[in-house]
Amino acid sequence: MKPSQRLRLKKILAHGFLLVALALVVLPFLMVLVASLRKGNFPPNSLWLNPDQWSLEHWKYVLNIPYSEIVNPSTGETRMVQPPTPPLHWLWNSVIVSAVSSAGIILLSSTAAYAFARMRFKFRGHILQSLLILQMFPAVLALTAYYTILDSVGRHVEWLGLNTLPGLIAIYLAGVSTNIWMIKGYFDTIPASMEESARIDGASPFQTFVRILLPVSVPIFAVVFILSFIYTMSEYPVASAVLGTPKTWTLAVGASSLLREHEKLWGHFAALAVLSGVPITVMFLVCQRFVIGGLTSGGIKE
Amino acid sequence: MSQGSVHIKDLVKTYTDDRGRPTFTAVKNINLDIDNGEFMVLVGPSGCGKTTTLRMVAGLEKISSGTISIGDRVVNDLEPKDRGIAMVFQNYALYPHMTIFNNMAFGLQLAKKKKDFIQETVTRTSQALGLNQMLDRKPQALSGGQRQRVALGRAIVRNPVVFLFDEPLSNLDAKMRVQMRSEISRLHGQLGSTMIYVTHDQVEAMTMGDRICVMKDGIIMQVADPLTLYRKPENLFVAGFIGSPPMNLLRGKVQKQNSGLVFTETGEQNAISIPIKGPLESLVSKYVDKPIVLGVRPEHITEESKNGSHVPLTSAVDIAEPMGSESLVYMKAGSGSFIAKIHGEKLFHQGQPLTVYVDTGKILLFDPETEAVIR
Repeated sequence: MKPSQRLRLKKILAHGFLLVALALVVLPFLMVLVASLRKGNFPPNSLWLNPDQWSLEHWKYVLNIPYSEIVNPSTGETRMVQPPTPPLHWLWNSVIVSAVSSAGIILLSSTAAYAFARMRFKFRGHILQSLLILQMFPAVLALTAYYTILDSVGRHVEWLGLNTLPGLIAIYLAGVSTNIWMIKGYFDTIPASMEESARIDGASPFQTFVRILLPVSVPIFAVVFILSFIYTMSEYPVASAVLGTPKTWTLAVGASSLLREHEKLWGHFAALAVLSGVPITVMFLVCQRFVIGGLTSGGIKE
Repeated sequence: MSQGSVHIKDLVKTYTDDRGRPTFTAVKNINLDIDNGEFMVLVGPSGCGKTTTLRMVAGLEKISSGTISIGDRVVNDLEPKDRGIAMVFQNYALYPHMTIFNNMAFGLQLAKKKKDFIQETVTRTSQALGLNQMLDRKPQALSGGQRQRVALGRAIVRNPVVFLFDEPLSNLDAKMRVQMRSEISRLHGQLGSTMIYVTHDQVEAMTMGDRICVMKDGIIMQVADPLTLYRKPENLFVAGFIGSPPMNLLRGKVQKQNSGLVFTETGEQNAISIPIKGPLESLVSKYVDKPIVLGVRPEHITEESKNGSHVPLTSAVDIAEPMGSESLVYMKAGSGSFIAKIHGEKLFHQGQPLTVYVDTGKILLFDPETEAVIR
């Protein structure tokens, strides 16, 4: 085989591989999208719809637009369908929980990371290592503990117990171990001389943190924010244990409620699944702007 | 007005690990008095403790024991901002997300000074440093030399009594370095403030300092003005550190021979001999037949005999480095080579026998055990 032929073969194989990988990612999404536009509640299993199979009923359901549905095919009896709890309400709950949790996580982990990166104290190394080990345990393991704690807290502080969004946020705020490590690693790459210069200029440690270190750390904060946002948006076990009433449900819990034992509303579920991608995508696009490199360039000679 | 004088007394810095156990002593009990308005250079090889000392004066490192006074105040427990100091860092340490103006104004803004005052001070300083056009730019858009000038401006704006420099020119190219060296010296002339300058480059030390403090392994080897360090080093380390090319240090013995006292180098081949005459004779009396180190600078070994104190020395050329108007000739000696500075636009080749003349009046003798100069 001539070299040029071999090169072309390699290119074809490489592109083929990429197309397969792409298909593995994109096709399931398309199938879900199709299922959300399909009349009736069929699981996502096809990519093609005949013209008479198209329907916007699931989207109407999700967006809380009443539509009529045939109850009895033989008599032609119809009824108006409306979700008992508007899914958009769940979307709103999710956005609030995720946004507030992510912001809180950044606040907690950045301040902790600052201490680990810049201060010397007893057992500093030990605490860091134990954080690493603790984070390996999934949150689900502590489910019963979360339930019991929130239950007793809820008896004394009404808005912070079970079935409350603040209660769920409080639990999510504990997911800081990985983030502390990430932010600490980033802080370690910023030479201390910038902060020392600020100290000589008269800045207190807090002022140094807010006015010098934070602006330079925007990329890592954007990363932590978006990762936390995605995690909390899609988190299911803890949310379903903590949130009992449909009004408080997040998207993940609400969507799974559509797949009941005997009546799996695949169509509604598919529409809701596609909808939940919207806030994540929007947040991603917003945060992406801040993930830029070379933020310390100019300030420090490497 | 002694408010800019700095007094370092019995200063010690010991580093500890996270648990508080001592690991390394960087500064071992040093004492140094810097006069108001003096340009004091701390020079030495890496790890000698000069930067640690500077940082303790600044307040960026905790003092393990001893005191540091600026003026007549002991500043051990004062925050850097209350000590009346300003520091210029090796890697500029500018704030990359702020404009040049804000970089220089930051300290004043923190001190809540009036806007007019800040505007006036920063503009005046940037004008003096030639940074007027760049006040709206960010550090990223400036060259290395300009950035260092901004760092300098930031320090000047603070109006300190003591300026601290931590190897500020190390990151600049050679040409920029020479330019900034003279700018800093000029600044010192204009402001008259005390300046403490840390460097590992002895050329910078010699050209800029009123006095130089040579350090090694956490202790002070000698403190003196440049010329005294050059002419009268107190120990082997200072003798070999100051001066470029470095002083020739030959190990050997002084023995009594028919012609008088002669220093002979140890070594099987090419051992050179230099007669000991004049004032050196009495110095050497206790070291006859004992190991001794003889030091003589390359610039005092030349191609012609200028006066009666010159003695001839013949050896073979090993390597020659022509520098233009003069050449550095490495000549074979008992333990490697010694360097002679030959003037004139001459060329030398390997193995060529050459007779040079040593100025015996400039010879220094050292005790190999104590490493101190014999006088």
